[in-house]
Amino acid sequence: MKHLLGQIFRSGKFLFGFVIFMIIMLTVLIYPLLVEYPPLKTISRGTFLPPGIYVNVYDSMTFSESYTLILDNAATKRIASKLNAEDRQAMKEWLVIGAELPEDEIDVDDTAKLIDLWTTNFDPTVRLPGMTNADRNYYIRLTASLDGLLATEGATVAVANEDTGVLEEKYVIDQTTYVNVGEVPNVRVLPLGTDNFGRDVLTELIKAISVSLTIGFVAGTVATTIGLILGLVSGYIGGIVDDLIMFITNLFTVIPSIILLILISFSIGQEKRGAFTIAVVIGFTSWVWTARAVRAQVISLRNRDHVNLSKLSGHSIIHILAMDILPYIASYVVMALILQISSGILAEAGLSILGLGPRTTEVPTLGLMLNWALIYQAPLLGKWWAYFPVILIIALIAFSMNLMNTGLDQVFNPALRD
Amino acid sequence: MKVTRFTIVTLLVVVAMMAAALPSLAQETLPRNETLYFNGQQWGAVVGWNPYSSSMNNAMAIAQGASARVTMFESPYLYNMLDGQVYPLLANGPFAWNDARTEITFSLNPAAHWNDGTPVTAEDVAYTWASHVKYNTPTGAGNVAYIEDIGAVDEMTVVVKAKLDENGAALNPLLVESYLSANYVAQKAWTQVMEERVGEDATAFLADIAEDVVFSGPYGPFFADESKVVLVRDDNYWGQDASMWGKLPAPKYLAHNIFADNAAGTTALKAGEVDVSQQFNSNVQDLWLEDGLAISTYLPEAPYQIGASLPTAFFNLTGSSVGLDNVAVRKAIAMAVDYPTIIANAMTNQSATFEQVPRSLMNPTAGEQALYNHEAVADLQWVGNDIEGAKALLDEAGVVDSDGDGWREVDGVNLHYVATCPNGWSDWQAAIEVVAAAGAQIGIDITTNYPEWSVYQTVVTKSDEPLPEGYDIFMMWSNGAGPTEPWGRIRNMLSSEWVGMTSNWSGNWGGYVNPEADALIQAIPTETDPDKVVELYTELVKMYLTDVPSFTLMYRPQSFHTVNESVWTNFPFDGDGTEPPVPPMDCTDGWGIACLYNLELVNP
Amino acid sequence: MKEYRNYFFKKLGWFAVTLVAAFILNFILPRLMPADPVAAIVARMAQGQTDATGVQAIYEQYIELFATDKPMVEQFVIYVQNVLRGDFGYSIAEYPRTVNDVIRSSIGWTIALQFPAIIVGWVLGNTLGALAAYLKGNFDRLLMPLSIFLSNIPAFGMAIIMLVIFAVELKWFPVSGGYGYDMIPNNSPEFVWSVIVHYQLPFWSIVLITIGGQAIGMRSMAIYELNADYVKYARFLGIKDRKIIQYVFRNAMLPQITGLALSIGTMVGGALFAEIIFSYPGIGTTLLTASLGGDYPLISASTLIITIMTLIAVFALEILYGFIDPRVKAAQAE
Repeated sequence: MKHLLGQIFRSGKFLFGFVIFMIIMLTVLIYPLLVEYPPLKTISRGTFLPPGIYVNVYDSMTFSESYTLILDNAATKRIASKLNAEDRQAMKEWLVIGAELPEDEIDVDDTAKLIDLWTTNFDPTVRLPGMTNADRNYYIRLTASLDGLLATEGATVAVANEDTGVLEEKYVIDQTTYVNVGEVPNVRVLPLGTDNFGRDVLTELIKAISVSLTIGFVAGTVATTIGLILGLVSGYIGGIVDDLIMFITNLFTVIPSIILLILISFSIGQEKRGAFTIAVVIGFTSWVWTARAVRAQVISLRNRDHVNLSKLSGHSIIHILAMDILPYIASYVVMALILQISSGILAEAGLSILGLGPRTTEVPTLGLMLNWALIYQAPLLGKWWAYFPVILIIALIAFSMNLMNTGLDQVFNPALRD
Repeated sequence: MKVTRFTIVTLLVVVAMMAAALPSLAQETLPRNETLYFNGQQWGAVVGWNPYSSSMNNAMAIAQGASARVTMFESPYLYNMLDGQVYPLLANGPFAWNDARTEITFSLNPAAHWNDGTPVTAEDVAYTWASHVKYNTPTGAGNVAYIEDIGAVDEMTVVVKAKLDENGAALNPLLVESYLSANYVAQKAWTQVMEERVGEDATAFLADIAEDVVFSGPYGPFFADESKVVLVRDDNYWGQDASMWGKLPAPKYLAHNIFADNAAGTTALKAGEVDVSQQFNSNVQDLWLEDGLAISTYLPEAPYQIGASLPTAFFNLTGSSVGLDNVAVRKAIAMAVDYPTIIANAMTNQSATFEQVPRSLMNPTAGEQALYNHEAVADLQWVGNDIEGAKALLDEAGVVDSDGDGWREVDGVNLHYVATCPNGWSDWQAAIEVVAAAGAQIGIDITTNYPEWSVYQTVVTKSDEPLPEGYDIFMMWSNGAGPTEPWGRIRNMLSSEWVGMTSNWSGNWGGYVNPEADALIQAIPTETDPDKVVELYTELVKMYLTDVPSFTLMYRPQSFHTVNESVWTNFPFDGDGTEPPVPPMDCTDGWGIACLYNLELVNP
Repeated sequence: MKEYRNYFFKKLGWFAVTLVAAFILNFILPRLMPADPVAAIVARMAQGQTDATGVQAIYEQYIELFATDKPMVEQFVIYVQNVLRGDFGYSIAEYPRTVNDVIRSSIGWTIALQFPAIIVGWVLGNTLGALAAYLKGNFDRLLMPLSIFLSNIPAFGMAIIMLVIFAVELKWFPVSGGYGYDMIPNNSPEFVWSVIVHYQLPFWSIVLITIGGQAIGMRSMAIYELNADYVKYARFLGIKDRKIIQYVFRNAMLPQITGLALSIGTMVGGALFAEIIFSYPGIGTTLLTASLGGDYPLISASTLIITIMTLIAVFALEILYGFIDPRVKAAQAE
């Protein structure tokens, strides 16, 4: 046993897959200990907040020490964030056509003059030839964003007096005022932003991985158990039992499992479709290959000498199957289990994308996260954080398991070794 | 070598199979600058062109309703949701009630003719109605209780006789009027041809796919398959007469590619392969703010669209949900819900908030908002997120947590509800999630469940027995904008006439029964004094906000209106200066079709 | 030869039984679903109805049309009679379209997409796998993990990523549909080109995944065979390397062909995600909407087609095996 384990871990492929898998597992186990956010809590009003560090503005004004930093390019950066080169060019174009200003009089790099020209000349009601409503909206938004862009004074924060309701000046924030993020009481780091429900994607993802792994494990176990038992019985006993089992197996082969999955999931109904139920359904529809393969192996084993010897000694069928046959196909069964787990995870994700996955609110799964990201069109809107990590994780889990499988294959079948 | 040969053979097979899969038709590419592309209307392949049937799955050509789609078939009048008026289409000038308000007379535009060149006559209008009644079509069945008869006075004059009550007054003048803008006129001669074909059998009449149909509208069938439907302009269209539009609509073709889902539709919109988008594009502002595309909505800022209907969560009042008969429980749940999050997340801000448009039974349009007294009900309107208020209300009503397990009880039973809506209806699902979250904050356990639509609809529309378990709080729609609104919407939300129907597709699915409300609903259609009407509506809103049989979660537009101006421009937008204003109705519905005559090419 | 005839008839018998059982299952399974599809039609018909008895009348009219009120056995008998005449009845969700019409208009697309994709993926995958087994070294070391990784990207993930990269960002390929959004089907070269261009993303999203799985399988089989005794013996006899390799790969290919036959049978399910993500016409989406809408005439007919296709593929294969593979022949004798 020790020798076998040593061999297994010497296989580069197995080790590589194992490391990836363990990293994922450890993250799933450790992250919830460090971060105790509820995974399904809506935290943002507004969808798909981009990844980043969110600093509470109110706190940073009122509860944090403020510092003054004199940085040279602060004003330039501020202006650039609102008015880029394209905007300047667009303003120039409008001024030339709309206000009929000579082109050479407009210097797009002279911000103060450009804004001055703009505010005196721009008229949102003028409709220029070839100008669409989208263009018009753009110019109106641009005009609004220019407001106060060149101001050098600070901003004043006023608070309404509780008795009179009159605004009273409370703080003045200069353009050189800074806070240290570490001192602000409320800072939330969202490494993967939020999703369409306004949930913290990373926290949800970690939880989803563990649920999906569980689904995969349950589905894999169910499928392997059914497949193993049917394969053993059918292969060893043969005859009419074999014919019958093969008949059922063939039936499950010719009616594609995805269709069975869809029909069964639909019939169960969403109210009863918990993650566990889905896992069992997946397992129930995907045992066919294991059964076929186990049967084939058993057939090749059943006339071996030690099996015949066991038969002659009057051992029961169960004893023979368990003691004389199972050990010889154990390695195969382990590998089949690994593959079934990874395909179980894929099947859940597929079902969820079709809207037939586990019910939505109880737990997140990788498939459900992907499904909702697709419904709210994350791929098209460039909200990569809502769908790409999920696809990547699914691929990585399956990849690591298949690598381990290949590694095992090489250990158990010396012929395959390089 | 073998492999290469195999590959070549395979490739040949590919090409051969593709060629075999295609029907051979001799038609070229649609010129981009003569075609207007749509999305969000047509899902799945077109079945047929029969204007009497509701099974044609032909959204570009057939959609009767408050603002009927008049691309191919036309109604006598066009409704404009922005000003609430109707404008003549096939009709000539406004219609007139007689003094007793028992019948409407209108004449037809002498210029109007069918695409076979024969004139549209009063006989056509009369025969269309007679066929609706004879074959019990949805239109016939829905109106036969209010319309006695539609007849031809002379070749060009139509008279619509209302069904009268025992006092000799019209039962419901509102519905009689709205028939004229909601329903198509079909040609008598063609209808008779079809009748002969189907042997006057009602089922076959409605299942006929009518490829030979005769129409009066500006567009006719051009092409339809699994992946698209295209209508082509009839350059002989009568509407180019000076008495109507004075010209032909700008696009020669109206085309709708069939997309698998909203995401695919949005992708095409982004790529400039869709001009007019009537679907929910989530975070629509990103399309111009982030991607800088020439895309705009009717309003430039949130809520982007004109809200017209009220997606609403109904409480089960049929007796099978413990505690929901207690108005305090209902109101507490409704008060605790975080509506701003529903609007920001589920609708991605494409709905007005309840601060902007306080809740009532009216949609956000100015016309409807003017129909009730805002001050009189201001104390009753809630904006949500009022956890403390909701808790106080429950405590006061004696609905408390006496066994200390965290959940409040009624008669010793923990309050536990299931909030539900159809699976895959994403914005509703996201909204229902927020409703459920509110429960936990006020000590009421609310879980969610999403059955498939095919199951959901059978359960919810079965109004002749108590709702089963799992439907304590459920979402359904309300009427949008139309000539009978807000009366029709209020009737559907509150009237007890729907309770007891085997298949109730009208409303009040929760089973609210209030004779006072019924009386008010019955009084409004025949009331002619505007001040009195406002009074009646205010009374109904008051009743609704006090009894809380259901609560609106968001406002939703009649049609989503998002346009890509990379080829066409001059689509309607708020403040576009059109008179009467062209409503954002997908350029095809009711007065919204005027859009097609205003369109211009960006690069002519 | 007599043995073979026995083998043939035994197989044929079992396949006939399987077909009948699958046919019955295809009939029953969809009808066990909780939805009432007739209600969906009535919903369309009854909009605006204010009269309860009127709705009831419409409902009964369609119940009668679809015979859903009759006992299951009687429905089955009617169904069998109709199917034998090639008539699968009306689709409920797309009523008044017939099931035949719905399937006819979509299945061509699915076959044209899936069949070549599976074959090309299979050919490329097996070639690469065989090369990896034969060349070994760096080629193998690079190819193996890559194949494993590729074959483990879920089908929908591959489709989404390809859509975002090649259609949305790079704009090399169209975003959706089976042919140009501005085209009407015809026989012009432009149209054929448009079909080819639209074909690429769905096609490669399937091929890339198929390649990985096939390459892994072929590599393992080829290595088994390369190390088999008969190869050593042949080498010992001095048979040319080229000749040996031909035998090796022919033998290694046999199990792979089984996989090919079965993937042809399951292609309808396999096409589902490509069809959804790329809005590609085909029977996958038809089947999905039918399932969600409880449209059981359509579900039964589509699953029946798939079942028959798989059965034929498997049957043909087993019969062929009986001829070709001596090992199977040996097993028959047992």
